[in-house]
Amino acid sequence: MSAHQEGRDGFFIGWSDRLPRGLGRFLLVLAVLVVGGVSLLGLALSGGVEDPGSGDFDWAAGERTLQGVLTAQPYPVLWLPPAPGRPRAHGVLLSGNGKAGVPIDPATMEGRLVEATGLMLRRGTIEMMQVKGDPTPRDPTVAPDGGSGALVAEPVPLGRWRMVGEICDGKCYAGAMRPSTGLSHRACANLCLIGGIPPVFVSAGAIEGTSFFLMADKDGRRLPDGVRDLVALRVQLEGEVERRGDLLVFKVDLDRARVL
Amino acid sequence: MSASHKPVGWNRTKVLYDAALLAAVAGYILAYLWVGPLIQRTSLPLDEQTLAMKAYGSCAFLMLTLVLCVGPLARLDRRFLPVLYNRRHFGVITFAVAAAHALHVLGWYFAYSHLPQTEALLAADTSYGQLRGFPFIPFGIAALLVLAVLAATSHDFWLSFLTPPVWKALHMGVYAAYALVVMHTALGALQSATNPALAVVVALSVALVGGLHVAAGARERDGAVARAAEVEPGWMATTTVDAIPEDGAVVVHLPDGEPVAVFRHGGRLSAVTNLCAHQNGPLGEGRVVDGCITCPWHGFQYRLEDGCAPPPFTERIATYRLKLDGRRVLLDPRPNAPGTRVEPVPVPGAAA
Repeated sequence: MSAHQEGRDGFFIGWSDRLPRGLGRFLLVLAVLVVGGVSLLGLALSGGVEDPGSGDFDWAAGERTLQGVLTAQPYPVLWLPPAPGRPRAHGVLLSGNGKAGVPIDPATMEGRLVEATGLMLRRGTIEMMQVKGDPTPRDPTVAPDGGSGALVAEPVPLGRWRMVGEICDGKCYAGAMRPSTGLSHRACANLCLIGGIPPVFVSAGAIEGTSFFLMADKDGRRLPDGVRDLVALRVQLEGEVERRGDLLVFKVDLDRARVL
Repeated sequence: MSASHKPVGWNRTKVLYDAALLAAVAGYILAYLWVGPLIQRTSLPLDEQTLAMKAYGSCAFLMLTLVLCVGPLARLDRRFLPVLYNRRHFGVITFAVAAAHALHVLGWYFAYSHLPQTEALLAADTSYGQLRGFPFIPFGIAALLVLAVLAATSHDFWLSFLTPPVWKALHMGVYAAYALVVMHTALGALQSATNPALAVVVALSVALVGGLHVAAGARERDGAVARAAEVEPGWMATTTVDAIPEDGAVVVHLPDGEPVAVFRHGGRLSAVTNLCAHQNGPLGEGRVVDGCITCPWHGFQYRLEDGCAPPPFTERIATYRLKLDGRRVLLDPRPNAPGTRVEPVPVPGAAA
């Protein structure tokens, strides 16, 4: 290969160490444009990511121990007694580590006063505890309210509602993952539901000031597996809403569910 | 392959090529992961893992887009041929970035479950009966598998083992991978996006790939390409001697679709298959350098008179017989066995 021939018409030969005249400058400009351009594009796409919300683990508080009454249906909730500034019993959703719920035998644990230790997650009105180990039954006579059943308020019917929103897993939505909504997160949310994490409905509008609902089937029991086809989508759901303490429970009639 | 018989291996061009490529990947990833969070307007930062998924996933998509643009760009503007020269490295690095995306997804969305990750991959989303929410992850898995096969077979060993036509056909699978990635993105990330930036990038990317291929196809139709037509028994009219540039070629398409390159060098004409024995590169878009046809893709060379690579190289390509009818170039459409000597045809009045 002669340099004369190589450079005559700009014909590039990869194994040659010599570049045709002018091609080196072209390639240098191209490389700078590509490196700079894709870096700017990466910056722009990263800068425009969606807001994942304010949910997070309460790392600052570390592990906490709470005492309250446990209910298992539709999903495990620990009920804390009313407190100053909190006139109603406060429902704390429970989960295990990772994508697992808290295994509770309703026959032996339903309505029991228990003590649970774990990390708290919080997002708006949602509070969840990632329980370390199993909740431990306590003697009702030493409960903060001196008993047990009084902590769990009777359900208050709020009527039948048709709402638009998204079904999420309660743990990721409460802050275990950011973001925790949308189709990209769907498989993760479904794995959480398979593992027993309580599903929550996040509505576009609010009822009694909240747009977050613990979900149950129309009879107040756990949702069937089929609900996973609706997770992470914009859906329209119908059902009865009831208030239990400060939690709203959406008893969904899945036969009338519609993907929008 | 080289005229001075240097073995193909790492050379300055490849080192610079890979350095620029890795700089671009690093620039994108670092801008996404380190600088981007400084300008994000969010209540709290995204998870590092989720951000990494987005960064590597979008990077792989853009790399796949660019790697598919290289071919038509090099046809439209020869200055892009150096980008094509080391395209296999581009492909392998694209696979590595896509694999990084997959590993981050596996290690975050599919971890911490009582289900094994592989089982979770299949069990977590099975809504195949609906359009909205149709599972998008299988498209990503399929694309990654295709890219893995392409990356694993990218070495010249596989090219030689599979033969260039089979290898080339296999590696056209990159288009299937791109289609799968577009579906993966369209059914997944785009459905979750709250701003249109990603949708715009995806749409422009697909339009760019499609547009460049259409433009390159149109250039090929309008360029130095002729279609052969039989004018006497056993001979087909192709082009005229005046249409063939010195040290260049006109590509002739035979009725069965076979492309033949008719070269002119030193006042003489020679015809060989248009397909390089290396990767089926378009020899007719190459040049005669040091008396040898030189492939524009990787510089593989063949002698004009017999289609043999100069010793010690052993590649051979099919040759064709030519004759002149005035200024018209006639071609015998029956290919000779690769490496068959055919005496070049002198062009009357041309300086040797």
